[in-house]
Amino acid sequence: MAEPKLRILMVSDFFFPNFGGVENHIYYLSQCLLNLGHKVVVMTHAYGNRTGVRYMTGGLKVYYVPWRPFTMQNTFPTVYGTLPIVRTILKRERITVVHGHQAFSTLCHEALMHARTMGYRVVFTDHSLYGFADVGSIHMNKVLQFTLADIDQAICVSHTSKENTVLRSGLAPGKVFMIPNAVDTAMFKPADVRPSSDDVITIVVISRLVYRKGADLLVEVIPEVCRLYPNVRFVVGGDGPKHVRLEEMREKHSLQDRVEMLGAVPHSRVRYVLVTGGIFLNSSLTEAFCIAILEAASCGLLTVSTRVGGVLPDDMVVLAEPDPDDMVRAIEKAISILPSINPEEMHNRMTKLYSWQDVAKRTEIVYDRALKCSNRSLLERLSRFLSCGAWAGKVFCMVMIIDYLLWRLLQLLQPDDDIEEAPEINFCN
Amino acid sequence: MDNNLAGDSPPPPPPPPPPPPPRPKWRKVAYGGMQIGYDDNYTDETFLEEMVMNANVVRRDLLKVMKDSISISQYLCIVALVVLVWFHTLQSSLDETSLLLLDLSLLALGFLVLLLTEEKMLSLRLLLRYVTNITFFTTGLYVLAPVYQTLTRSISSDSIWAVTVSLLLLHLFLHDYSGSTIRAPGALKSPSLTSCISVNASVVASVFVASRLPSRGHVFAVMLFSLQVFLFAPLVAYCIKKFSFGLHLGFSFALMGLTMYYVYALHRLFFVLFLVLVVVVNVVCPYWLIRMQEYKFEINGPWDEAKLCFDITD
Repeated sequence: MAEPKLRILMVSDFFFPNFGGVENHIYYLSQCLLNLGHKVVVMTHAYGNRTGVRYMTGGLKVYYVPWRPFTMQNTFPTVYGTLPIVRTILKRERITVVHGHQAFSTLCHEALMHARTMGYRVVFTDHSLYGFADVGSIHMNKVLQFTLADIDQAICVSHTSKENTVLRSGLAPGKVFMIPNAVDTAMFKPADVRPSSDDVITIVVISRLVYRKGADLLVEVIPEVCRLYPNVRFVVGGDGPKHVRLEEMREKHSLQDRVEMLGAVPHSRVRYVLVTGGIFLNSSLTEAFCIAILEAASCGLLTVSTRVGGVLPDDMVVLAEPDPDDMVRAIEKAISILPSINPEEMHNRMTKLYSWQDVAKRTEIVYDRALKCSNRSLLERLSRFLSCGAWAGKVFCMVMIIDYLLWRLLQLLQPDDDIEEAPEINFCN
Repeated sequence: MDNNLAGDSPPPPPPPPPPPPPRPKWRKVAYGGMQIGYDDNYTDETFLEEMVMNANVVRRDLLKVMKDSISISQYLCIVALVVLVWFHTLQSSLDETSLLLLDLSLLALGFLVLLLTEEKMLSLRLLLRYVTNITFFTTGLYVLAPVYQTLTRSISSDSIWAVTVSLLLLHLFLHDYSGSTIRAPGALKSPSLTSCISVNASVVASVFVASRLPSRGHVFAVMLFSLQVFLFAPLVAYCIKKFSFGLHLGFSFALMGLTMYYVYALHRLFFVLFLVLVVVVNVVCPYWLIRMQEYKFEINGPWDEAKLCFDITD
């Protein structure tokens, strides 16, 4: 059986059975990389009773390391505690590239640090946007600066995200690659039968009902649109703290028959909800990369959105400022161009614009670049950390030196040759 | 044909290869896969062009900051005066009658200031309401004075002084120097958590000190004095400041002079410490703040969360 070309370890706190953008990204990317002939292993923390090694579709091996999450699905940050298990996994699977995901994941930062100490190539993908002004962001950015001081390559999911990451971490822009997320267009197909009634226009909203996703904008926009267009109805899926405000809005304007609240929609039913509508409304206040509008466009819906420039071509999305009047104007424009939209044609275009196979190929190029980077000795690496800050630089150097010493100690206690390598199991596709 | 040997023209050079097709212009979009002719890490001059730096930074002027810091030293003087009165009462230098006289005169003065600085005329009804409130307050204090007197009998004096000092420091740290805690009714800004904690700390400190006094009359007088000052001095200071800045400056300097005189009479070391504190607050700290402003680096851009332009009314 052919030797895999690259052996990749994906590390993140966020993986299945948890649902979300990062989890989906890791899963689909891993599947496509497996199809390209590489070997992919995922490392994450235990979810409830789910610990140990599991195998997913296509032979994707997942290590659910028995560390409990302590807040927001993050493992407790014991800086050196994960060194033994990471070393064991890296040696067992004969990994060549370590790929960490999401700046918010403590497991990712620790694993990348240990991988660098042991001389492996590391790549990091950032999925979110952060500010610069509040206490949490300042700490987060310092930790990110530490991890990215010594990285081989970095990937961001949008141009805004690339600018944000470069500013936060001080990384050179040439080291950051822009590879967007994609959507599984085979799963998100338009409805087989177009809804027959031409006079009722359904606008679909699926998002978490929180402040960040612009639920307050919805509360202002929905009554205004319902007043201007008697033939428009809304379908709102998703749950969250702002659910109460939306219910109040329904009561106040007597829109119970025109605004349908579905509550939390499981991911398997999202497509079913999307195809009932003609327009998709996204009102988020900030978004690194909005996958929801890709799913909607794949199902043939015209999108009205705030703040997501550059994700879809101009004829598939109507952009608006996060201001109720501007959003109403955008919805009016969308309603006027809706008759000219062909869902099938939009879906076919989406299959060419976004695909996970394309993302995997571009990520492969990044891995090749990372492997070409020269191996630096400990002293050269320490000089990079010193530039992180007057006090922080020295603290980071201390942390790395102790990590190096602990690694040597582990090598003494359990030599590399004693770690048994995992056999290759060929999964017939 | 013979081969020409010399004088031959050299063979014609091969035609130049056709120039490669110009690569399309790079677009800052995410769709469409890799752009032909460009790597994924291509960065052009539009990178970071939407970043805005230091958009909301207020440039401060040294003189204005020093003038504003006078409010802080004014309040420090007020607290120092209260502590002086406590000290003298505990040492029995001030007796009951003079304390009560002090209370009444402070009350009358405060009222006078409020009346004079108020823009609109105070109606008789409002005045009557104020008088009723004050009567209730004073009567309540008088009735509760025996309770306060025996409150901390079982606690040693050292603990009392330690707790009082720490509560006063807490009060000074958390005090709302912008004046939003005690404000005329109808204020827009509701008091924050820290300002409520500071008011409570000062009240508890007064109770602790009052509980060490020998007689009920003393307890009542000191409690009335402390509560009057801690609860109403910010309001009076705010009214004076709103009325006229010159009056505010004069009032502050007069307070400072008074405090310095009495602290000097008490103890030389405390006087020096107090002087140093006032100088640091009024001169050193504004200068330091202005110097640090150069390092301010505020970054805004398309990655920021959008601010809603309307108020969320729940």
